[in-house]
Amino acid sequence: MAISNLRVPARVGMTLAMALVCLRPVAAQSSTEKVVHAANKFLASLSDDQKHKVLYAYNDEEQRARWSNFPTGFVARGGLRLKDLSESQSAAAMDLMAVVLSPMGLEKVNQIRLADDDFKTNGSKRGPGGGGPRGGNGGPPGGGGPPPQFGVRGPGGPGGRGPGGGGEMFGKDLYYISFLGTPSTSAPWMLQFGGHHLALNITIAGSKGVLTPTLTGAQPATFTFDGKTIRPIGRESDKAVALLRSLDDKQRQQAVLNYQVPDLILGPGQDGKKIAPEGLKASAMNAIQRRLLLDLISEWAGIMNESAASARMAELKADLNETQFAWSGPTTAEPGVNISAYYRIQGPHLVIEYAPQHDEPTNHVHTMYRDPTNDYGTQFGGK
Amino acid sequence: MKTKLAAISALISLATPVLFAHRIDEYLQAIIVSAGPNNLQASMRLIPGVAVSNSVIAAIDSNSDGVFSVSEQRAYAQKVLHDLSLSVDGESLTPRLTAVSVPSAAEMKEGLGEIRITFVADLPSRRGQRALVIENHHEPRMSVYLMNCLVPQESSIRIVAQNRNENQSYYRVDYMQSSGEQDSWLTHWQTGLLSAMSPLSGVPSMFRLGMRHIAEGTDHLLFLLALLLPAPLLAVGSRWATHGSVRYSLMQIVRVVTAFTIGHSLTLALGASGLVSLASRLVEVLIAFSILVSAVHALRPLFPGREPMIATFFGLVHGLAFATTLQNLGVNPWQRIAGILGFNLGIESMQLLVVASILPSLLILSRMPVYRFFRFAGASFAGIAALGWIAERLLGVHTDVDAMVDGVARHGVWLAAALFATSLILWLNGQSAAVNGNHANAFLNPAGLSAGKLVSPECGPRRPRSAFVLPPSPMGESKY
Repeated sequence: MAISNLRVPARVGMTLAMALVCLRPVAAQSSTEKVVHAANKFLASLSDDQKHKVLYAYNDEEQRARWSNFPTGFVARGGLRLKDLSESQSAAAMDLMAVVLSPMGLEKVNQIRLADDDFKTNGSKRGPGGGGPRGGNGGPPGGGGPPPQFGVRGPGGPGGRGPGGGGEMFGKDLYYISFLGTPSTSAPWMLQFGGHHLALNITIAGSKGVLTPTLTGAQPATFTFDGKTIRPIGRESDKAVALLRSLDDKQRQQAVLNYQVPDLILGPGQDGKKIAPEGLKASAMNAIQRRLLLDLISEWAGIMNESAASARMAELKADLNETQFAWSGPTTAEPGVNISAYYRIQGPHLVIEYAPQHDEPTNHVHTMYRDPTNDYGTQFGGK
Repeated sequence: MKTKLAAISALISLATPVLFAHRIDEYLQAIIVSAGPNNLQASMRLIPGVAVSNSVIAAIDSNSDGVFSVSEQRAYAQKVLHDLSLSVDGESLTPRLTAVSVPSAAEMKEGLGEIRITFVADLPSRRGQRALVIENHHEPRMSVYLMNCLVPQESSIRIVAQNRNENQSYYRVDYMQSSGEQDSWLTHWQTGLLSAMSPLSGVPSMFRLGMRHIAEGTDHLLFLLALLLPAPLLAVGSRWATHGSVRYSLMQIVRVVTAFTIGHSLTLALGASGLVSLASRLVEVLIAFSILVSAVHALRPLFPGREPMIATFFGLVHGLAFATTLQNLGVNPWQRIAGILGFNLGIESMQLLVVASILPSLLILSRMPVYRFFRFAGASFAGIAALGWIAERLLGVHTDVDAMVDGVARHGVWLAAALFATSLILWLNGQSAAVNGNHANAFLNPAGLSAGKLVSPECGPRRPRSAFVLPPSPMGESKY
């Protein structure tokens, strides 16, 4: 096969490079090289016109911030849409994602896309007592029409060099890929991948890779695909419940806030902000609880490939004593159903927010993952 | 009474934590504030949901031409700022608009539009423990709120505590401000000392919080004042007939205040330690109801002589409301006890200050026929306010009660002084009239100095009914 033929010389070259420059961190370097290789392979599959659309200057602040939780038909993204790519181009794009992300991260991304497909077919399940998992095909036929939380207007929207939606609102191929700067193993560059309920902002600088800021979300939060129940943001909910349940009364009193948090505080557009933290400090947690907290954090930090994720987890582990866990809303949860409560994990280099959306709290969720000190890899410079 | 108490305790035991009502579409208003040594900067995002977008659009587009002109945008931003109330260390601040941007009406109709407002305010430069309070009163019926502050850039400012009410329309940040880098060793020393006595360090700030809470919690004061109105009086049948002796009047007032204190201290302690809680909306409605009861009682005796019991009973309810502002105490049990103690002492001191400021007027006026009018006016005011609050808290309708009561409360000191001056003048006038034997001035004649003992100064001579209600203490002769 062509791919394995290409990979063999690449590996040989890499081994030689390692032997020559043995001081460099081995795994990280190889990882970035793999990513750059996959990115170049994708770019090589594009026409000049497509290349022009997908590549932005590294200092293009407008494109950097052009992400949202909204469907692409409402808020246009830049770059190329999967739907407008040929089969092989699309496969090359997903091959790139498979190298940048961990298997868990890739699965999460694909499940978020599938949820959008389900939404396109079945619409919102909002209704009397809504929010619970629905049985079988009981959902009202949405027929692709806009859900009630969006207005009556057709698509379009400001900004973006993309095709602008063309009337389509939901579906797993309405996701965009774009680059800021050119893929490089030394100079910083950025890869963006996103659409409805997804915004991955990946900055790579040499051996370093950061995923902040990243938005994930899902509506429906629970659905059936191929006979399997899928919950794209399910572990984020379940692991948080496990952590909350492990707290004793005193700790819980610190963790559970006495006020409502109706939405994300640091959603799109709120880059680099460090709000005063609240909640229970991990320094007041026991070893088991600290492990549960780190495991919960890994649902975001672990979206990136192994070398970037392990570096990030090491950083967050070092910050753990100063990391706080705050919860707002019902402390009860049904098994297999996402929570209707908001929670936040905040440390010196971390903000994670989990915000159920008011239209269908247990079936519609937005989450944010940030590093207020290094959103978009600002520390790496290069702009 | 026992059944009522039983009902309340049953409600308390069925306590739910915080109520989470989700509206389908709402007006999200988020403020992020940042405090510097001598100024404050804030950014505000306002995002109307689809269902409420039309009313927001109408509020901005004052000439309904479908376009948000620069002056309309500015006018709306000013209106939003006007609906905020900001204060630092109890001093109110005036926000100055620095920028506003309003999205298109089309975007807003889809729930995508984000109005952005930034503003600044000057802060009086001061060192030590400070408190910044922001209240957002903009469109309360359709809004949900977020309020946060940034971690201070300056090392001279350190955030100590954050407090919010249930829907985040009230936000309070306590912070320490030191003078800067030159004497940072002093700050370290100070911080070290403070943490060494950490169980006690919260007391002064909690004391201030308590004082401010009762001063701003006009509903608590209104309940107490309405209950004190008839306290100096004795009931005959279904009417307030005459006043008791000075001793009786004074003791009755002291009893009512003490009873209220015992009641709310009990539930404050229980509530703040998390042992009991009650849905906050229910508590708020019960508080408004308690004002109505005491207002009616001031007009017509419902429970003459038993005001202390009523004060204890409703004190229990008011205490639960105090407790909700107190949930961010430390984990350390000593810290918690000290915090509760400080907060309660603050409440009691402020309450005593208010009572003391009107006590002389109450004692003097209640001995005069004019008291009837004063009592009627006071009771009506409290009654109207109570009805308004009940409507607001139970049905969610908007009334102007808060504005009305706040307007009066803002001039509380002057009103108390004017009341005292008036009562003093009336009394002196009555004194001289009595000495001169000039009974033409009978209207102002202090009853205590008139000959008849059971002549009601308020209602004129009245046949005592058989159901004569005796106060706990023997009715004495009115003396000065």
